[in-house]
Amino acid sequence: MASIGKLNRHQEKMAYVFIAPTLLLFAVFTIIPVVMALYLSFTNYDVLSRMDWVALDNYQRLFNDSLYWTTFKNVIFYSVIFVPLNILLSLGMAMLMNFKRFGIRMFRTLNYMPTLTSAVAAATVWIWLLHPEFGLVNEILGWFGITGPAWLAQTETAMPSIIMVTLWQSIGSNMVIYIAGLQGVPDYLYESAKLDGASAFARFRYITWPQLRPTTFLISTMAIIGALQLFDQAFVLTQGGPGNVTKTPVYLIYQQGFKQLQMGYASAQAFILAIAILIFSLINMRINKAEEPVV
Amino acid sequence: MKKWVSMLLTVFVAASLLAGCGSKTQGNASTGDGGAFSGKPVELTFWGDWAGEGQKQFETMVDAFNKSQDKIRVKYVLQQDMITKFMTTATSGGAAPDLVFWDRWRTSLYAPKNVFHPIDEFMEEDNINKDDFYTEALKELSYDGKLYGLPLTVDARALFYNKKILDDAGVAPPTNWDELEQAAIKTTKWNGDKLEVAGFSLADVGLFNMYLQQAGGQMMDETGTKTNFNNEKGLAVLEYWNRLLKEDKVYKIGFEQGLGEGTDAFVTGKLAMQYTGPWMLSTYKKYGKDLDFGVVTPPVGPNGDKGSVMGGLGLVIPEGSKHQREAWEFMKWWAANKDNALLWAKTSLNIPGYKPAIEDPFFQEDPLWKPFLETLEFAKIRAQHPGYSVMEDDGLIPNLQLFQQNKLSAQDALAKSQQRGDQLLQDNAIVE
Repeated sequence: MASIGKLNRHQEKMAYVFIAPTLLLFAVFTIIPVVMALYLSFTNYDVLSRMDWVALDNYQRLFNDSLYWTTFKNVIFYSVIFVPLNILLSLGMAMLMNFKRFGIRMFRTLNYMPTLTSAVAAATVWIWLLHPEFGLVNEILGWFGITGPAWLAQTETAMPSIIMVTLWQSIGSNMVIYIAGLQGVPDYLYESAKLDGASAFARFRYITWPQLRPTTFLISTMAIIGALQLFDQAFVLTQGGPGNVTKTPVYLIYQQGFKQLQMGYASAQAFILAIAILIFSLINMRINKAEEPVV
Repeated sequence: MKKWVSMLLTVFVAASLLAGCGSKTQGNASTGDGGAFSGKPVELTFWGDWAGEGQKQFETMVDAFNKSQDKIRVKYVLQQDMITKFMTTATSGGAAPDLVFWDRWRTSLYAPKNVFHPIDEFMEEDNINKDDFYTEALKELSYDGKLYGLPLTVDARALFYNKKILDDAGVAPPTNWDELEQAAIKTTKWNGDKLEVAGFSLADVGLFNMYLQQAGGQMMDETGTKTNFNNEKGLAVLEYWNRLLKEDKVYKIGFEQGLGEGTDAFVTGKLAMQYTGPWMLSTYKKYGKDLDFGVVTPPVGPNGDKGSVMGGLGLVIPEGSKHQREAWEFMKWWAANKDNALLWAKTSLNIPGYKPAIEDPFFQEDPLWKPFLETLEFAKIRAQHPGYSVMEDDGLIPNLQLFQQNKLSAQDALAKSQQRGDQLLQDNAIVE
């Protein structure tokens, strides 16, 4: 007995040794910056000349900063449309791409391609496609006698355009994750369901969807985090315009910190954003209840 | 949760700045100011964020200076993310550059932080006459009565027009708002609800400042802390835009969005007139006969007021430089010498900030340069407030865009811009 206890203790020690490098990196690149950001958010740090304690001044200013809350509204609107659509479309694509047909690998690759392009480069190309007079999108609409809007310049269509472009770019990678999930669903479940006369929809509803729950949870969580941190595409496509409808919190944080040298205030903004992401992730967890699949 | 890392990037950079603090200061203290006494030339580091063609232009100047004497050796170092790098060295006391190529409008944000060395003493010692420079440009490089650098380039927007389109429509280049409106109406071509040729570009509502001056107004009040456009002058601008955009239909929102070089609406003959600066001259000249264009000073407003906004670049010496005197020698050689300023102007195709250089026929006898020189005589710099650009970008421009799209009336757009703008000015003011 005594020797087993010793062995366990030894293994325990070795375990810590093994995870030490990762923990160290995690501490240096995640924990310390987070703690410092928290500290900075209570100062008037400007990088160059000062770092004085200002207590809650930054947070007070933040709650009266209507632009900051406008940007929050923008990304929440974005998330509410982007996240469900993202799941729906990537699952749909995954199910199509999961058929075993000739050339399916090529289609999978093609659908994955947009993910490989850089966000900025892809957004730049989309600016041309969405041009009101000479863009391909309005050209095609024109064949059907529809005068397309100035997609990126109008307040009504600017955010939907960004949603469309970001969806186009993020579906590929989520599709791959879903395909992996689909291939992990045991065939015997479908076979026995078929024997019992379950329809295709019922098989999806009672086998595929519950089996994919952990996958869906992963994808929705990543989508929520990404959505609330929206920056690149919005910045390239519309620069936050027109009329602030596509400005995002990360854009403001960058501007306050690096352009206006108000690192303290920017840290406060970043902290509130982090808390918001945490809250939305928790809500998502409750909805998805990441329970074990039914096998 | 790995995304936390990227989300807190802001903080991480701040952290690394601090981390660099201790070590670098010590490392440098030991090497100290060597080389100042020996016969060896003093090495200067000159930072800029111009790459490609711009880098070659800088190197032309640097080489010419290095050949002209043997006491100072300047080296150009390209810094893509110059401001961030500069902040790093300023806080760490590390290898600070001796000269920085500087967007002048940033001075009001950085000078109060004491990161630049004032050049007033050098100016006096060497008898450099301030009147030889554009007063507005020097003003933009000053803070609290001290001068922090010399201007290398000056620019302002003027009206570019496509000669062929205007000739075909039988109109002369406009000189005032009414003529501009009439010329725009006559040059605009619609095909059903498709705009084929826009008479005049209304893409950039950020040019409000310029129109406001033409209407006889000013962006900021005399205290320099509050906006001053929510009045009949601001209203005159918006009413003018409204006429052009909605009644005369000389433009369509989003018409030029995303059209880069080569598809530029002005180059492809889809735009008759626009406001832009001398930086576009070399691009447009490339098209030779295919693009026959002219430039005139900005049309005057209803009461004959002139208006344009001056911008441009300059050189500054960081407080952390160990060779400020030598850096000044280079700055003086480049920015305050007729021949060298002219060499720079011809190399980079910019208007130099040193007025004697502008007397050269290169500028005086060129019909494309001349209107810019005239515009620069009355052009005004942006207000010197560290929150000015934020006020324009986040307070004013969004509301003007909403106005353009019928989401706000002119009065409401101005009222909201004032309210938001004043708040942003206050939030971003210098706190002592």
